[in-house]
Amino acid sequence: MTESTATAAPRAASAGAHPAITVAGVSKWFPTAEGQPLHVLENVSLEVPEHSILGILGASGCGKSTLLNIISGLVTPDRGRVCINGVPSGEFEDWRSVSYMFQEDRLLPWRTACRNVEFALEAGSMPKAERKRRAQAALELVDLSGFSDAFPYQLSGGMRSRVALARSLVLEPCILLMDEPFSRLDAQTRSLMHTELLRIHRLKKMTIVFVTHDVEEAVVLADSVVVMAPRPGRVREQVPIELGRPRDPTAPQVTQYIQRLRALI
Amino acid sequence: MPTVLEQQIHARAPGRKWRFDLIAQRLALVAILVGVWWVASLPLPHFVLPGPPLVLEALTALSASGDLWSNLGITLGRVASGFVMATLIGLPLGIVLGANRRLGEFFEPIIPVMNTVSSAIWAIFAIIWFGISNATTIFVVFMTAMPLIITNVWQGTRTVNADFIELAHTLRMPQHKVMAKIYLPTILPHFFSGARLAFGFGWRVSLVAETLGSSSGVGYRLRQAADLIQTDQVFAWTITLVVMMAALEMGVLRPLENHLFRWKKEAENS
Repeated sequence: MTESTATAAPRAASAGAHPAITVAGVSKWFPTAEGQPLHVLENVSLEVPEHSILGILGASGCGKSTLLNIISGLVTPDRGRVCINGVPSGEFEDWRSVSYMFQEDRLLPWRTACRNVEFALEAGSMPKAERKRRAQAALELVDLSGFSDAFPYQLSGGMRSRVALARSLVLEPCILLMDEPFSRLDAQTRSLMHTELLRIHRLKKMTIVFVTHDVEEAVVLADSVVVMAPRPGRVREQVPIELGRPRDPTAPQVTQYIQRLRALI
Repeated sequence: MPTVLEQQIHARAPGRKWRFDLIAQRLALVAILVGVWWVASLPLPHFVLPGPPLVLEALTALSASGDLWSNLGITLGRVASGFVMATLIGLPLGIVLGANRRLGEFFEPIIPVMNTVSSAIWAIFAIIWFGISNATTIFVVFMTAMPLIITNVWQGTRTVNADFIELAHTLRMPQHKVMAKIYLPTILPHFFSGARLAFGFGWRVSLVAETLGSSSGVGYRLRQAADLIQTDQVFAWTITLVVMMAALEMGVLRPLENHLFRWKKEAENS
C-alpha cells in the first residue's frame, strides 16, 4: 500500500470508463458450529456509477452488511468478484480511499473530537500538524468546528454521528460505504443528517453505498435502490429514484416510491 | 453553541467554596484525632502511649540528625526499584497473556496462587536467598506488586472493544499502531489502578521485609525503636510514613489520574 496515495489531497477523478463499484455474481457462505454452512449471499450483481448514491434496502438477515463488508475488502466472496474503479478488489491497493462508516459512531472515548477524526489519518505517515489541519477542516465540513476539543461523552448523539462522518470524510474518500449509519439517531436528528450528507455529497462528489432497513431513508438519499430478499440474500429488484432533491418525505411522488419499495420488501 | 460545552465543563469543576469546605473538614478531623490521642496519653506512661508533644520532639530530633531522611530515602529507593521491576515485567506479561488466549488459559491458575502467598513468606525466602541486603526488600516488593499488575493489565486487555479493532482494520492500520492506539489506552486505567494498589502494598510489605532482613531503612528503625522501647520514635516513624503516603496520593497520584482519565464521565471518575 503506498503511503503517498493514501495521504494525497483530493483524489484525481479516476477514469470514468469504469463504474466506481462492480459486484458480479457474488455468493458467500459462512461456516457454522453445526457444520452446515450458512448461505448468506446468492449470486449478487450490481453496479454503482461514479458519484452516485446507491441504497441497499432489506430486512435484517438478508446479508446486506456482509455485502458491504465484501465491497470494502474485509470479507472475501466465495464466488464471483468485486471491482473498485475497474480493478479487481484482490489487486486494489488504495483502500484508504474507501471509507467505512459504521452503525455505531465508534468514537474512541479517550480522544477529543478532533483527535478522533485524526485517527483515520494515523494509519499512514502524515505529519501531526497536517493531520490536525485536515481534521479541523473535516469538522468544519460537518459544522462542528466549535467542538474539536470536546470528548465524546460531552457530545449529543447527533454530534457524535457528525464526528464519525468527519472521520470517514477526512481521507477524502472516492467511495463512502455506510452500514445503517444513522439508525441509532432519533427521527429529527436523522433527517438533519440526511440533509448534511447530501450537502457534502454535492460538494465532494464521492460515490456512496449505504445499507438501510428504513425505506424512507433509502428514497430520500439514493439515486437508485437495490431491494434484497433474505435467506440467502439476493437482489430482488433495483429501483432508480428519478426525483429531484431535496426530497420531502411527505411529498406525493416520494410517498409513491416509499409504498412501491415497501411492497417489495 | 460553544456555551453549552463551556457550561458542561464548568459544571464539572468543583466550586471554590466546596473545595474550601473540604479542606476545613479534613483539618477538623486531624485536630479531633490528635486531641483524642493527647487526652488518652495523659494518664498513661510514656513508653505505652507518648503524647503528641513528645512525638513531635522525637520527630524533630530524627529530622535534625538526618536519620529520618536517609532511612526514608533508603526505603523509598527499595520500594521504587521493586515496583519499577514489577511494572517492567508485569505490563508486557499481562498484555501477552491477555492477547494470547491459549497462553492465558494455561497460566491463569498461577496468579491467584501468587496473590495468596503471604509477604512474610516471600520475606523469609528472600533472607535465605539474599541475606541481609537491599535485594531482600526489593524482592519482596517485586513479588507482591507483580501479580497485582499482571492481573489488572490482563483484565484490561479483555475490555478492548472489538468494534475499535474493526474500525482500525477498515483504515488498514498496521498491527503495531493498533496496539499503541487502541490496546494501550484501553489498558492504561486498569494498569494505573493495579500499579496504585501495588505501590501501596509494596510500601507495607517493604516494612515487613526490612524488620526481618535489613540493617537500614524505616522498617529496620521501627523495630530497633520498638526493641529499645523508644515508643515516641515508633510513633514518629509511623506518622512520617502516613504523611508521606497521603502526600504521594494527593500530590502525585490523584492529580495524575485526573489528568490522564479526564475523558471519563464525572460519575465514573469520582
